Amino acid sequence: MSRRAPDAAPVDDGRGASGATGGEAPLLEVTDLVTHFSTPRGVVRAVDGVSLSLRRGETLGVVGESGSGKTVLSRSIMGLLPKHNVIRRGSVRFDGREIGDADSEEMRGLWGTQIAMVFQDPMTSLNPVMKIGRQITEPLLHHLDITKKYARDLALSLLSSVGIPEPERRLGQYPHEMSGGMRQRVMIAIAIACGPKLLLADEPTTALDVTVQAQILDLLQKEQQERYMAMILVTHDLGVVAGRADSIAVMYAGRVVEVAPTRTLFAAMRMPYTEALMRSIPRIAEPSHTRLKAIHGRPPELIDPPPGCRFAPRCEYVQDRCWKEEPPLIPGDEPGHSYRCWFPVGTPEGEAARERNRAAGSAAPANAPEAPAAPAAGAVAGA
Amino acid sequence: MRVIAVKLVRLVVVLLIVTFLCFLLMKLIPGDPVDKVAAFATPEQKAVIREQLGLEKPFFSQYWSWLSGFITGDFGRYYTTNGAVGETVSSVMGQALPVSGLLLLYSQLLALAVAIPAGIYTAYKAGTRVDGVANTVAFGLLALPNFVLALVLVIYVGAQWKLLPTQWAGDPGVNPMLQWRYALLPTISLAAGQIAIYMRLLRTDMIDTLQEDFITTAKAKGIPPRKVLLRHALRPSSLTLLTVAGLNVGALIGGAVVIETIFGLPGVGRRITEAILAQQYVALQSFVAVIAITYVLVNFTVDILYSVLDPRIRNARAVT
Amino acid sequence: MPEQSPSPTGSPPRPPSESGGGVAATPEVVPATDAAGPSPPDSVPEAEAAGHGRGLGVMAWVAIGWLVLVVLLAILAPLLPIPDPVNDIDTNAFLASPSSGHLLGTTSDGHDVLSMVIFGARASLIIGVGSILAGFLVGGFLGILSGYFKGRIGGVIGSVLDIFLAFPNLVLALAIVSFMGQSIRNIVIALAIVSAPVLARIARASTLTWSEREFVLAARAQGARHARIMWREILPNVLPAMFSIALLGIAVVIVAEGGLAILGVGVKPPTPSWGNVINDGRSDLADAPWITLAPSAAIFFTVLALNYLGDVVRARFDVRESAL
Repeated sequence: MSRRAPDAAPVDDGRGASGATGGEAPLLEVTDLVTHFSTPRGVVRAVDGVSLSLRRGETLGVVGESGSGKTVLSRSIMGLLPKHNVIRRGSVRFDGREIGDADSEEMRGLWGTQIAMVFQDPMTSLNPVMKIGRQITEPLLHHLDITKKYARDLALSLLSSVGIPEPERRLGQYPHEMSGGMRQRVMIAIAIACGPKLLLADEPTTALDVTVQAQILDLLQKEQQERYMAMILVTHDLGVVAGRADSIAVMYAGRVVEVAPTRTLFAAMRMPYTEALMRSIPRIAEPSHTRLKAIHGRPPELIDPPPGCRFAPRCEYVQDRCWKEEPPLIPGDEPGHSYRCWFPVGTPEGEAARERNRAAGSAAPANAPEAPAAPAAGAVAGA
Repeated sequence: MRVIAVKLVRLVVVLLIVTFLCFLLMKLIPGDPVDKVAAFATPEQKAVIREQLGLEKPFFSQYWSWLSGFITGDFGRYYTTNGAVGETVSSVMGQALPVSGLLLLYSQLLALAVAIPAGIYTAYKAGTRVDGVANTVAFGLLALPNFVLALVLVIYVGAQWKLLPTQWAGDPGVNPMLQWRYALLPTISLAAGQIAIYMRLLRTDMIDTLQEDFITTAKAKGIPPRKVLLRHALRPSSLTLLTVAGLNVGALIGGAVVIETIFGLPGVGRRITEAILAQQYVALQSFVAVIAITYVLVNFTVDILYSVLDPRIRNARAVT
Repeated sequence: MPEQSPSPTGSPPRPPSESGGGVAATPEVVPATDAAGPSPPDSVPEAEAAGHGRGLGVMAWVAIGWLVLVVLLAILAPLLPIPDPVNDIDTNAFLASPSSGHLLGTTSDGHDVLSMVIFGARASLIIGVGSILAGFLVGGFLGILSGYFKGRIGGVIGSVLDIFLAFPNLVLALAIVSFMGQSIRNIVIALAIVSAPVLARIARASTLTWSEREFVLAARAQGARHARIMWREILPNVLPAMFSIALLGIAVVIVAEGGLAILGVGVKPPTPSWGNVINDGRSDLADAPWITLAPSAAIFFTVLALNYLGDVVRARFDVRESAL
């Protein structure tokens, strides 16, 4: 998969991530996608210039905290945003066609058949007063020219395919008669019913028990492989995408701050936020009562973001320059790796920056002022 | 099942109390009711009437004989001013009830037929100019008393433009509500205010429902807005509306009384006014009692239906 | 509250009367993709938008203005340069159309319609305010009692009230007035009896929510007696919410008076009330519609104003409560 710096011309360098089919044109190309919401308090810049691309059969993980813009990103790509008070700019090319400015009728033609979404909470995302069978056959009957009987048979086979036992009985049930994991399987069945090429999974396991999470993720992976879909897996949990995504994009404050093939990301992350995310994952091997390493500070301001890097107030490596100039996405050493940082992790400049901050006594200034405050003594304009 | 049984018991208790209150009303009349109704009768005739009505008996025994008669359909009789016995109230009521019943039914149907599409549409277009206009119109309709609307219709549609008849002068026994020319204006008069209420009720519920996640899922399946509104959003939002519509039937009885009087429809309303003017207290008492009982029964039925219709409640009860 | 009320007197799961509608804030921004279908509402009912923060909107002041005008005219009626509605008969003008002499025409008896409407406001307002006041005193008291003492007493009172609610209201009022005789006093009594259970139920519901609050528990813990708690703690909190209901209730009662008049048991002529002037005009609808239309318009605008203000008041207090 190729990534681009936000102001560079789109270039497909043909380099695919490991394990992906190479040479094929990308199914999805997002360029500079911007999604802002007009609110009484001001314009919320939920997604502030995101670019990515994806081929069929590939999985992209999008990781970030709440407020990072990851959910808005997935909805924006799909075009599933509210009608009013939304500003959306940028290009979304799907299957060679520009859909960023498509009207609702065009989009409705794509939804279900070409692009589908699996939502976070299956309890609220399923119609509580409609039988499961009907909710599955509805898109089938609408999009495909088939009989009711055939649709029902399709629904049965879909239910089996997603691993629901006794599908006959389930067809006539209501959502509240099923367990959480089963409901999410139904959601997945609904999403893949018409054979979409792109599947967007928006925190598909967040509302589920930990024991069920792995099953659902396995199911998604299986369906993706069988149907040769492209998949975007949105989550706040790095662990979810660790073994299941071909590449991972880390989002912060509406921007992609680092993107890399999975192995590269874990082995050689550059952006301090990514490092902090990784550190905050609790590990079984650690002794009990080990303090969790949360990222201190507050979530970023999306309405009138201050200049400079958005992560500066919470960054261990922050320097003067970070408060003044926002770093662009620059390519890393490995193919497909880009990141946004002046003093990246694992580089001499980065290490020096961190040492300076440590020596000055605090890892990062607790207050994030509008005016860039000198974090410590001896601030050196970074490389 | 248990719940229904408990409600049935309460129903019976309420009915008993209501009939008791109706009976009490007649007893509260200052003066002698017999003197009023049969003003020109001889003392002997009056005595006969008193005997018939059992006015000499002790209070509760009167109530009991009245109640037992009432239950078996003996609603008493009209009396002429000479003290002779007139028609049975039940025959009059049998002719009047269908008229009023149809009026109520038609007006509720009309109100729902207009309010449901309007409610759906304004919910879909919530926040736009159309919605604002519709809300203002609804507000105005709410403030308009139904008899004012009826009178305005009589004045303009009836008297000035002479489009429709406004008074029923047909035979007793014929139900004017079965003839659309006589049924239309009264139905509109009763329905107008209801349209406003139901439209806003549905709109509020629909707006809430449209925020729900499952609506987004339905949209994301590529289902067009019309189907999303009708198939997914309408059903969960309509429960409150149907309940209120059912309960309102009882509340409309009073309004129907006035409308019937204005249009001269021989329904229960007009019979009541006639009974009042002619001081036919026996008839009046029976009419009031019948109305009250109908009201209680309608509310009870709606209450039961409500718990039956919502599958979540139904299933919850099945589980417990 | 009698039948003309929009709210059913059964026990609906949700009260159907709502905040005033009005032109909503038009959404501004460029919608890039329209694909989302039904959108979430950003409409703010005019009443709420007007009452946001301090100050009332224009419409609220118009409504208040109208009501003040009506009340003033009613109070000052005998002093105004209009003919006496009962005694002054213009023998030159029976059923006259509106003219410079008679701004709203005359009735078939030669009475000036305008003065009948103005004087009629007195009866209608007295009935409206009087019934609701009486209904409040009795119903509110019972309602608070029933809501506060949640046990046996409360349940019994509650059930009794529900029984009353089982009666279709206008019919009950009709029966009472016809048995007691037509007079303003009796009509007030009848409509008060009919309104009291509804008001009691609302007071009860409101009391139930407030009596769960901690400051009530605190007062109890300090040893305050029930009566004192109800008077000092609960009543001041229930009152504001009831004020909105009161405004709506007055509107309903004024309409009910009209209904009773049409049924023949309104205020006894020749004393005018809006209701019985409407009824008076019924016999001449074709030739002299203004006789009926004038008091009808008076009722309509008064009800409109009361409804609007009732919604504004309710929006105000709802906002404050949720801010708690």
